[in-house]
Amino acid sequence: MGNLRQHHLSPVASQVVAVVACILTATVCLPLRHLLDLTNIAMLLLVTVVLIAVWLGRSPAIVASFVSVALLDFFFVPPHLSFLVSDVQYLVSFAVMLVVSLVISHLTTHLQASVDEARDREHESKALYALAKALAGAMSADEVVARVASFVHQRTWAEARFFLPDAGDTLRGFPEAATRPADVDAAALEQVYRGGGRLPVRHAQAPEASGLLIPLHGATRCEGVLSVGLPGGEAVDGLGPMFEAVASLTAIALERLHLVARAQASQMETEAERLKSSILSSISHDIRTPLTVLFGQADALSLAEGALGAEEREAARAIRDQARRLNQMVEKLLDMARLQSGQVCLRKEWQAIDDVIGASIQMLGDALNEHPVKVLLAPALPLVAMDAVLMERVFCNLLENAAKYSPPGSGIVVQVRNDAGGVVVEVHDGGGGFSPDSLAQVFALFARGNSPSSISGVGLGLAICRSIVAAHGGQIDASNLAEGGACVRFTLPAGGEPPSLEPEPALPAGEGA
Amino acid sequence: MAAESCILVVDDEQQIRRLVRQTLERAGYRVCEAGTLKQALVEAAAAHPALVVLDLGLPDGDGAAFVSAVREWSSMPVLVLSARSDEADKISALDAGADDYLTKPFSVGELLARVRAHLRRAAASTAPGETLVRFGDVEVDLVRRAVQRGGAPVHLTALEYRLLTVLLANAGKVMTHRHLLRAVWGPAYVESTHYLRIYIGHLRQKLEADPTQPQHLRTEIGVGYRFQV
Repeated sequence: MGNLRQHHLSPVASQVVAVVACILTATVCLPLRHLLDLTNIAMLLLVTVVLIAVWLGRSPAIVASFVSVALLDFFFVPPHLSFLVSDVQYLVSFAVMLVVSLVISHLTTHLQASVDEARDREHESKALYALAKALAGAMSADEVVARVASFVHQRTWAEARFFLPDAGDTLRGFPEAATRPADVDAAALEQVYRGGGRLPVRHAQAPEASGLLIPLHGATRCEGVLSVGLPGGEAVDGLGPMFEAVASLTAIALERLHLVARAQASQMETEAERLKSSILSSISHDIRTPLTVLFGQADALSLAEGALGAEEREAARAIRDQARRLNQMVEKLLDMARLQSGQVCLRKEWQAIDDVIGASIQMLGDALNEHPVKVLLAPALPLVAMDAVLMERVFCNLLENAAKYSPPGSGIVVQVRNDAGGVVVEVHDGGGGFSPDSLAQVFALFARGNSPSSISGVGLGLAICRSIVAAHGGQIDASNLAEGGACVRFTLPAGGEPPSLEPEPALPAGEGA
Repeated sequence: MAAESCILVVDDEQQIRRLVRQTLERAGYRVCEAGTLKQALVEAAAAHPALVVLDLGLPDGDGAAFVSAVREWSSMPVLVLSARSDEADKISALDAGADDYLTKPFSVGELLARVRAHLRRAAASTAPGETLVRFGDVEVDLVRRAVQRGGAPVHLTALEYRLLTVLLANAGKVMTHRHLLRAVWGPAYVESTHYLRIYIGHLRQKLEADPTQPQHLRTEIGVGYRFQV
């Protein structure tokens, strides 16, 4: 910065000023040459040189040194108004005076430069400190960018532009409207952003760099790139360290904003999750209680022989059955809501799949009265790691669907086969099958596979099955059998090698007599 | 005996309490009620009920804590009422010593059947045990350690037999995986549920008419097994 503001005179003008100052001193001394010693006049001229060195710098001071020696010789050393000297000793005086004034001017300008530099540094530190303070209070990236840009402009007249990554990690000018990306080499930007150090920017003709691309390195990642360019192609080299400092401050500020945003987002997510789960559990409790009472009281009424007539008991039975259906729908909706909110964590255990199938059939009980279920198991099925409670829901939904969409008396077949790395399960029914154009979407939420029908249901069962099977890493698909009837097939990966059993000591206990 | 039996109903929902009370009273049982766990513990100690019907969703605490507290001084049957989504609570209550569970909503017939079965079992446990158990076409002679099916002897390994006797001794009661594993294989095996799956599979192959749809060795999904005569 020093070179931009130390003195406001051009080199030629300051040298003219130096010469004029020496002549002025000589002119003042001229009438006094009878009163003053030659030595003192030489001293006055030396003082002039020192002052010129302080105010105007080195080269005017050098010029002034020569001029004052010449003036001393011409006006003050006899013979006056001539460069001739009467005494040879004066030549020594001139030489000494010249050397002294040159040395003094050199030392003085050197000292002055150090002072200037120190002052500049102090200004710079103060300014950077002020910038850091301003950035600490910035609440948005726009504010950070605006403050840094105005700081850079004030300090150096340079133009600062920012390139920050968007959500897809692509660098974009920031703020968008204020930048013309065409001015900046995109490849260079990428290079700097992806781990390069700072890069100088040169214009085609200029020998020296007039701009810099500096990465904004935060503690955890690169926050973007700062591009500075001096107007008119001025050289930028001396300003590198200052721009680096500005870049670090910017990076820290941007990173802070970034981390704050992330912390807020994750806090909001946790809040939302907690809210969702508390809503789910309170809905489930609040709906279940009245349903339990409704179902139970209707059930009690339907059993109250003697007190009620046959018609009333029939009505009570109808209420009970509808309450049961309502409950099943609520259960399915809650299941789906839990599965979709990602709240379900699998409690996988090694299970025998026939065990789960048997329990599902047992659970459905009366619903399968009119549909004999045949379970066909391949020999030596492996244990499969699964969440039995969820898998039971899959079987219940599939069996329930099969019973619902096939005529009374028709059988249901559950078939389990070994497959590389797991098992394949198929559930067939003897109904009309899925309508061919709906096959693709039967697993979608609220889809009903069998075109509008009088059969009740909300279209959740298969969607729940798909979510649960997918959570186990399996696949599910639907098809129609050649001989009629729907078929849902799903795969379940074994989930590793089942643990082996320790062999049992061969004690013949419980041996039949 | 039904006339003297007092049954303690613990539920914070007054409507459900009333449903259970009416159902039980119609069947001739005497009923006392509690709305909180604290109250339930006081009632249980004071009234010495023959059976407890316990809802797990109580506002003031954990059903399992109640069950273990009661188990310190009584073996009265505890029948748990739970929602389908409360698997974990249900299992911890059963592990703590509860006998059975009913999922809401439940039919009154089912509730009464369970209550009767557990009262009968509790009464029978004080009498000298049967030495001969029959279910389906299977006969188990506990004295001679012999199992017959349709008159023909069935070979069981030592562990299969031990598992069967533990289930028979707790007929009608839900036995959690942990409980069965500890009783048959020992405390080091309580997490090794795959032993149980395989041995139950063997028992079903040997003793059930249709092993894929067992009538006696029933699975309580996610919880354990139950032997049903």
